[in-house]
Amino acid sequence: MRAYLLRRLWQSAVTLVGVSILVFVILRVVPGDPAKMLLPEGAPPSAVEELNRHLGLREPLWVQYEIFLRSVVRGDFGQSFQYRAPALRVVIERVPATIALAVAAMALTVVVGVSLGVLTAVRQGTPWDYGGTVLAVLGQSLPNFWLGIMLVLLFGVTLRWLPTSGFGGWASLVLPSVTLAAFPTALVARLTRASLLEILGQEYIRTGRAKGLGERRVVLRHALRNATIPLLTVLGLQIGTLLGGAVITESIFAWPGMGKLVVDAIFFRDFPVVQTILILSATIFVVINLLVDLLYTVLDPRIRYG
Amino acid sequence: MSRLRLTRRHFLVGGAAFGVAARPRPGRAQSRAPAAGGQLIAGLSERMLTLDPANHYSISSTSVLRHVYDPLLDVTNDDRFVPALAESWKALNNTTWRFTLRKGVRFHDGTPFTADSVLFTLKRVRDNTKLIKSFVYQDIDDVRKDDDFTVTVTTKRPFGSLPAHLTMLGMLPPAAGAHEEAFFTKPVGTGPFRFLSWTHGDHVELEANARYWRPSIPKVDKLTVRFIPELSTRAAALRAGEIHVIDRVWPDMVATLKATAGIKVLDTPAVEAQRWHFQLAREAGKDPRVRKAVSLAIDRNTIIKELLLGYARPVVSPIPPGLIGHTTLGQKPYDPDRARAILKQAGFQNLTLDFVLMKDLYPKQLEIAQAVAAMLGDVGIKVNIRNLEIATAREQRTAGNYDLFYSGWAHMPHDPDWYFGQWFTRAGAEKMTRFNDPRVEQLIAEGRVPDPKVRQQKYEEIQKILWEDEPEIWPYYSVAIYAISDRLRNFEARRDYYVLLHEVGIA
Amino acid sequence: MRRLPRHPMIVVGGLILIAIVAASAAAPWLAPADPVKPSFAQRLTPPRGLGGAAAHPLGTDNLGRDILARVLYGGRLSLALAAGAVVLAGGVGVVLGLLAGLAGGRVDDLLMRLADVQLAFPVIMLAIAIVAVVGTSPAALVGVLAVSGWVLYARTVRAAVLTIRETEYVEAARTLGAGNVRLVTRHILPNTLAPILVLCSSQFATMVLLESGLSFLGLGLQPPQPSWGLMLAEGRDYLSNAWWLATMPGIAISLVVLGANLLGDGLRDLLDPRLRD
Repeated sequence: MRAYLLRRLWQSAVTLVGVSILVFVILRVVPGDPAKMLLPEGAPPSAVEELNRHLGLREPLWVQYEIFLRSVVRGDFGQSFQYRAPALRVVIERVPATIALAVAAMALTVVVGVSLGVLTAVRQGTPWDYGGTVLAVLGQSLPNFWLGIMLVLLFGVTLRWLPTSGFGGWASLVLPSVTLAAFPTALVARLTRASLLEILGQEYIRTGRAKGLGERRVVLRHALRNATIPLLTVLGLQIGTLLGGAVITESIFAWPGMGKLVVDAIFFRDFPVVQTILILSATIFVVINLLVDLLYTVLDPRIRYG
Repeated sequence: MSRLRLTRRHFLVGGAAFGVAARPRPGRAQSRAPAAGGQLIAGLSERMLTLDPANHYSISSTSVLRHVYDPLLDVTNDDRFVPALAESWKALNNTTWRFTLRKGVRFHDGTPFTADSVLFTLKRVRDNTKLIKSFVYQDIDDVRKDDDFTVTVTTKRPFGSLPAHLTMLGMLPPAAGAHEEAFFTKPVGTGPFRFLSWTHGDHVELEANARYWRPSIPKVDKLTVRFIPELSTRAAALRAGEIHVIDRVWPDMVATLKATAGIKVLDTPAVEAQRWHFQLAREAGKDPRVRKAVSLAIDRNTIIKELLLGYARPVVSPIPPGLIGHTTLGQKPYDPDRARAILKQAGFQNLTLDFVLMKDLYPKQLEIAQAVAAMLGDVGIKVNIRNLEIATAREQRTAGNYDLFYSGWAHMPHDPDWYFGQWFTRAGAEKMTRFNDPRVEQLIAEGRVPDPKVRQQKYEEIQKILWEDEPEIWPYYSVAIYAISDRLRNFEARRDYYVLLHEVGIA
Repeated sequence: MRRLPRHPMIVVGGLILIAIVAASAAAPWLAPADPVKPSFAQRLTPPRGLGGAAAHPLGTDNLGRDILARVLYGGRLSLALAAGAVVLAGGVGVVLGLLAGLAGGRVDDLLMRLADVQLAFPVIMLAIAIVAVVGTSPAALVGVLAVSGWVLYARTVRAAVLTIRETEYVEAARTLGAGNVRLVTRHILPNTLAPILVLCSSQFATMVLLESGLSFLGLGLQPPQPSWGLMLAEGRDYLSNAWWLATMPGIAISLVVLGANLLGDGLRDLLDPRLRD
């Protein structure tokens, strides 16, 4: 296991470097000129060239990368082209809102999703199951923005129970997290149900039942634990998605998160911000996937890594 | 936990705005009852990108920064230039301007505003070529201090639009030069509001400058500007009573807003003309007959009436009313039969046009583009709509990979020289439309002098040529729509999309 | 086949999907009007029964086009795109996941690190990069969608393989001489079916919604050709005053998801070896 861990850590470092190179190159190769995005439409080509030069974009690619690496090591991720402020600071400003939303949505996903999955599996074939299926279908197919805007219109504008937008306290977290959690919750519910149904039919569960244990305990103890593996896989990927992919929810709720920041930065060709966020998100994915892989071994002793 | 508490301050600040309308939220503490001024919260559609007035060319940023900095002169909603930090200004000759400055004005940190400020601000924007506005001021030759309150600016070529440009350039204290980066994290100006804080891309907080040089201005104690690009979100916040004013409202949203109690909708024709420019180097755009046919095939009145619900005005000259150079050249006709005839005669039976749009730039642009595609289809032209993200669209334009490009021009600064210089000179259009007409070029140069009568005449001549030649389609003048809480007093719906709140009070 | 009546879910799910596919295929005959031609006088009329006319049962959109017609025609493009993307993502993902799980060691590491690298890139960035190279086209869009989706399948399958790889059942089969292919098809794949089927049916909606987002941003399909994704995108701006623009394609998507879910769950019940007795 220790050898495995070390190997993974080494690979993580390589992955991160790989990501940084890939981001760097893609940004500079794809069409789109940062100076043109900053300057007004008809600014003279000389002004465009001058600004590009100031931004350091006229050096050869490998020189730019070298400069970038050297400053990253010092903790300097460059100046945001859009905001003319340190890219790292611009990104970190978004962290509280992003984490708050991700945690809330993840909590909802796990609690509601798993409960729904258990309910529909244990009560298979009953109206509970059908109702749960309908909810799951809605959760997967309702567009994010539809749900968000409808919730805002109902709870924010008509009833005025909750704020319509912005990050400012517990109340403002409710609607965005519900909106964001809808799809993962449905997915988790279905996965839980499917895994549980499998395991509920298995031999050893029946043995457990024969021993006289209450059905509920049988379910919770054996089945859930073994259904966790596929669940964990999905949750691990969802965390990453929640952190970087919540752009539509963030737009609807004017939520100052990283999803919107990275999308805006990509469209604006704000290279330093994009680079910073992507390296950050790669780090997060690498760490999460490592944790998930380790958790597999904890949850199912049969799993071993060669 | 502590992270959320930090931002609870934002919520408190927002909470004060609820004031009368909503019931108190749990956990919200008000340290004092709102003073007579109160707090104003605006929801703008475009993010502010910098606190440096010389480092951006955005309407929204200009509007926000106007609250913190004063420029030398302002432009009113009826298109007059009025004194701000300059009490008067005069063109001594074609290349010299003299500004007489206002006395007794202080920056927010107490230092006095003098000619040194003007010298520093102008020289800085000219010399620091990293600044976005720098290239505009390259024509400035020298900035001289005659005395503490008089400044003379000499230019290399006639710079008649200098006053207009100066309305967008806030004056900085000379001390800013010593530590610029630090200065712009907590900037200081002479404006009606002092800067408190800025969360990038989210909101900016300002508080009243009690010692502003205009009496009884501003009328509120605090101003928070939130950046909310999503229209439905902006509208929802206004309708829920969370904010007081929103800009860039779409025509379709007007009915819903008007139907909400406590909300007023205001609109005014804007100093903006939509312009769809042809790629003049491509087969279709090169031929004036094709351009004429396209123009004849577009039913502008239907677009204005049906798609924009009347919130647009027919174009009578490329320069909108209110700007120097506006004139009346009639309205472009809608005549699909004639369009078909012209195309047949010119031999363009199976024409295909690439119509490129920049995503999300103008309200309802995709809808209008599809309508136009149908109209052109009626006369036998197939249109490929290409709705691209902005950076890619710009590259395509530079490469000349389009036939028609959906765009508009809001005249900021309030001066057509900018528009003509960028689009109708050979240098300006080289990497864009490839427009090249020596007559027009000459007239533009001649129109740069300070004398307004000369400029009007030159610009009229230019527009007559363009109107006939039609290198662009001008489908309509835009109308700016705002929505405000009816508790606001003195809000002016501006034609230039600025949201200026120093004279606005809350009842 | 005899078992089918005992699996109503497959039947119901299958029927729903067949109905929708058939309706979309028959769009030219079922559509009440032209889906592309604007009709300015009839903008934003509500569905029949809510104030609208019988001529437009589901109402009209912001250019006066009949929504039922657009939903039917749009289904062709959206169904094909989403199905293609799911098949491609699923196919590639399952294969790579099997490879990673079975081969283990270096191969596993390489593939999973590849996944990590790709996950760090937002879909939009991938889309911009791909579009920059091959331009906007349905094929490019399928590519983008597939690229965004394969990792989920790969990691899920890999996890399942890891679990099963070391069981005695499989060991026994191996000692009996079963080669890898047989192992995979007979023992491993059937046990990974449950999560895969669930993922596939869930992913369909994701693909349509992703297509919607990308088209809206200019990275996907271009108007005026209808697709559910584009309809959603265009309807977004009218949600507060003409909700039917976005809701109708949303309902269509929900029906497909319902069918796919039922079918997926039903197939799992049918094919899962552990439930067979």
